[in-house]
Amino acid sequence: MTASPTQALATAARAVAASKLYGSGDTEVRALDAIDVAFEQGRFTAIMGPSGSGKSTLMHCMAGLDSVTSGQVLIGDTDLTTLSEKDLTLLRRDNVGFVFQAYNLVPTLTAIENITLPMDLAGSVGDEAWVDEVVDATGLTDRVKHRPNELSGGQQQRVAVARALAGKPQIIFADEPTGNVDSNTAGEILGFMRSAVDQMGQTIVMVTHDPVAASYADRVVFLVDGKIVDELEDPTPQGIRDHMTQLGA
Amino acid sequence: MFKLALRSLIDKKLRFALTTLVVVIGVMFVVGSFTLTDSLRSTFAGLAQDIARGADLTVRVDQTFGGDFERATVPEAVAEQVAGVEGVDRVRPEVAALNVFIVDGDGEPIRPPGPPALGFSFNPGTFFVTEGRQPSAPGEFAADTVTAANNGLLIGETYEINGPLDAESFELVGLFNFGSPDSHTGLGQTMAAFELEEAQRFFGIEDGYQAVGVLVSAGADVSEVQARVEAELGSDYSVITAEVDAAEQEEDFNQVVDIFNTILLVFAFIAVFVAAFIINNTFQIIIGQRVREIGLWRAIGATPRQVSRSVITESAIVGVVSTVIGIGLGLVLALVLRAILDLIGFPLPPGPLTLRPRTVGLALLVGLGVTMISSIAPAMRARKISPVAALAHDFQLDPTSLRRRLIAGGTVLATGVVALAAGMTAGLDTTPTFVLLGIGAVLAFVGINTVSPAFARPAASALGRPVKSLFGMPGRLGGDNASRNPRRTASTAGALLIGLALMGLAAVVGESVKKTFVDIIENAVEADYFIRSSETGFGPPPGFPARVADEIEALDGIESVMRIQFAFSGLSVDGEPRDIVAADMALADDHFDGQVSSGDMAAGDPLTSLALHSDSAESLGVGVGDTVEATFPDNQTETLTVVAIFEDAAIYGNWLIDGTLWDRHFNRNDLAFASARIAGLSDAVGEAEQAALQERSRAAVEGVLDRYPTVMVENQAEFRQTQESQLTALIRVIQVLIGLSFVIALIGIINTLSLSVFERVHEIGLLRSVGMTRQQLRRSIYWEALIVAVFGGLLGVTVGTVFGVATTLALPESFVQTVAVPWLDLVVFVVISAVAGLLAAILPAIRAGRMNILDAIAHE
Repeated sequence: MTASPTQALATAARAVAASKLYGSGDTEVRALDAIDVAFEQGRFTAIMGPSGSGKSTLMHCMAGLDSVTSGQVLIGDTDLTTLSEKDLTLLRRDNVGFVFQAYNLVPTLTAIENITLPMDLAGSVGDEAWVDEVVDATGLTDRVKHRPNELSGGQQQRVAVARALAGKPQIIFADEPTGNVDSNTAGEILGFMRSAVDQMGQTIVMVTHDPVAASYADRVVFLVDGKIVDELEDPTPQGIRDHMTQLGA
Repeated sequence: MFKLALRSLIDKKLRFALTTLVVVIGVMFVVGSFTLTDSLRSTFAGLAQDIARGADLTVRVDQTFGGDFERATVPEAVAEQVAGVEGVDRVRPEVAALNVFIVDGDGEPIRPPGPPALGFSFNPGTFFVTEGRQPSAPGEFAADTVTAANNGLLIGETYEINGPLDAESFELVGLFNFGSPDSHTGLGQTMAAFELEEAQRFFGIEDGYQAVGVLVSAGADVSEVQARVEAELGSDYSVITAEVDAAEQEEDFNQVVDIFNTILLVFAFIAVFVAAFIINNTFQIIIGQRVREIGLWRAIGATPRQVSRSVITESAIVGVVSTVIGIGLGLVLALVLRAILDLIGFPLPPGPLTLRPRTVGLALLVGLGVTMISSIAPAMRARKISPVAALAHDFQLDPTSLRRRLIAGGTVLATGVVALAAGMTAGLDTTPTFVLLGIGAVLAFVGINTVSPAFARPAASALGRPVKSLFGMPGRLGGDNASRNPRRTASTAGALLIGLALMGLAAVVGESVKKTFVDIIENAVEADYFIRSSETGFGPPPGFPARVADEIEALDGIESVMRIQFAFSGLSVDGEPRDIVAADMALADDHFDGQVSSGDMAAGDPLTSLALHSDSAESLGVGVGDTVEATFPDNQTETLTVVAIFEDAAIYGNWLIDGTLWDRHFNRNDLAFASARIAGLSDAVGEAEQAALQERSRAAVEGVLDRYPTVMVENQAEFRQTQESQLTALIRVIQVLIGLSFVIALIGIINTLSLSVFERVHEIGLLRSVGMTRQQLRRSIYWEALIVAVFGGLLGVTVGTVFGVATTLALPESFVQTVAVPWLDLVVFVVISAVAGLLAAILPAIRAGRMNILDAIAHE
């Protein structure tokens, strides 16, 4: 898929002049510095940047796990800064999907129970046909009754992605989803995420520091010192590496 | 390593505080009970000396067994003989009686709430007049200052006094302090004092004195005088010095203190025992959580020995801190207990708290010892952690294999059960029996706790099944977490198990005793009215004037009255004192059916008749017609013939003699109990006639009782009701006291749940991030706690019931015959433990809810 930022795609989530400050006075740290960014629907965006650049903070704030100090964060048309803790929780449950670096799964629940966890928490059955489709896509149909400790690391991460997909959220945030696995397994997970965007029309935002992982995305956003300093469309690993070098990262 | 241990404690302040608190409670009970009882002992020693100071020597009849009030009297002639001995200045004869109740101005008898109501002859040596004068004529009395002040008694007023024989009016002529001129030393007893001859008449002790105090002449040597008096009187009498008298009095007081001490120590023991479980549990979990950290220590060069030493050091710090705090709080507890005793009517003379080195030593032994012993097993596990643990992410400590657990636990449990069985059946003395039972109980509990993880998982998941299917994801997760770590579940439940098992045991034994008693009364009661003291309390009711029975007997509508008297150690056979009941043997079968299995109670000469419960007959190897040599507290021996053997001990106890034989050997005239039958009442007359007879006779009996406010009458139904509710109340008191161990168990559950939440920080962060609300999270923790608590409750109640049934079967038949299980009580106990579990979950649940999601996810 080729698309330019000017193309009129609907926005799944965006930040408007979002700042995040830690501490105060001399020890003040500006983790996000008046960031404006939008993530279009149906696209796979990677956020990159050196350690301490604020990429994880940006993701946490966009996902409603953390709050910004000033500015706005919107998922769809909902302004997260106006929501109560409870409404934020419900928003995460119903509209946002998550994939973390590791230990994404509740060990006492089976794979399929982990996949339907957000729906079960909501007390709804969800779209069963869709869940079946997602499970099919993971290629783990015959292992869904297993507990996480009976699955390989890659399988566990695929289950985590499937959980994020199962609730048909408006957007999925992935925080270094391949940070803890070998490169073959990483390819397996990233391929699955790529196909979720291409075939299911999902929107995915992924934080990573691995240029190869980022090359699976449609667009790469570079962050340095809490500011967006650059973007790259249809990235290749080499193109990303070049940019990173330019940025001094 | 000491630094590491200290650091690890400081890092986990809450856990440290909770673990410490558990030990503190145990130490507090130990220190509190010893401090209080030591203080009481030293106070009583002073009191006893005050009392004994009234005379240089005391002459009384030598007694081999029995209480002071059962002692034979010194004849007046003997007292005169003593007065004539060279070196004797004066003699002070004394009489005293139990159950002398002063009736206050409002017509209410003044009832000391536990201590006795006593009557004395006024003894100028120990009674010090503070107001008015000492009683010196018939119709006069003096009262102790405290009783007078508390009840508004005024000098010059006339009061009714219920004595052992009758109720009479006396004028209050003076107030006195007992023991010392400056302050009244009493323990809540009420004291009425009369002129000597008047006291003898009023108490019905007209042929002598219970004791004769001797004051030696100035300059005479006390021991020389003692020797001369002894030579004069011969071996029937004993002449004791004031020191010996004081020591004896002190001994009497100390017996009461010992009972008190034992009760407190039982609680201390339970508290310490539960604490040991919780400490062990806490350290096990901590080690489990610190596997990686310990692995790291090992990787950078710590030896296994250093690792286990650091765990032990950590526990030692907990032990020392707890002991210090526990000693401090124990002193506070002693003060609080003293205040409580004062409030419920045992005013204790003020005195300093006595903290003896022995108490501090015991506190250290308990606080430090229990903590360190409980941490040995976790320390041994810790030293097995390999350096690889630091690297592997999901390194798990090898859990002890289920089979080894079952074998080890089963062996310990079996040993405990054997010890319990031996304790209950071997017929040893009291102390070895209790030691054996205690050891047996400890082993049994440790065994059960070792075995219980083996079935904690299936049990918890069975309990969790309905929760999981009915209460959505929170129920599901709570249920899963409850069965996730069977060891943790089992030992958390173990803390509850102890208290519940003891409560269950008390419930089953109590219910069985009650059922036995109620059944017997149901079958045995033949009389229509039961006359007894209106005092409702535990233990044998106080006596009432014998005249009451005479007056009721004289009523038109009454056919017969049976008088019952009672004495602990009232008779000695084969050198062993026995508790006896005295009743009119000719009437006995008509008033209470004692289930006579052979012989006839009314068959023989009442003065030589003895009826025995079958247990006693069996152990003595006698049957109807055999004779028994029985010695009474007055040192007289009689040859008694067994006239009947009966099966029900509820009314007649084990040894029954006739009232006439009692009168011959005892100075106590008050009645413990009386029963009456209505004249002309039988099924032959119509129902209306029966009702009329009952109404008329009841009115007549109550008319008699108007003059005796300490006495009340009950019909069959009321009598049964009272007996039953008194037993129920007693069982409840015991259960509530045992229930105190719940407080400790509660802390244990808080501790375990907090740790179990801590163990799952990352998981909780994950759940929260994918949309679990705080409420759902809290609910899942409540479900977990509920399942664990119900598991502990069921386990405890089951163990308690099994032990209860076993105890009931082992107890003598004369005490309990039927096994009754109070199902409702048991269900209530499980509910109580469920509530305790929920209460304990509040704090961990709130803390879990407040956790920052990002920090939680970042948590390894």
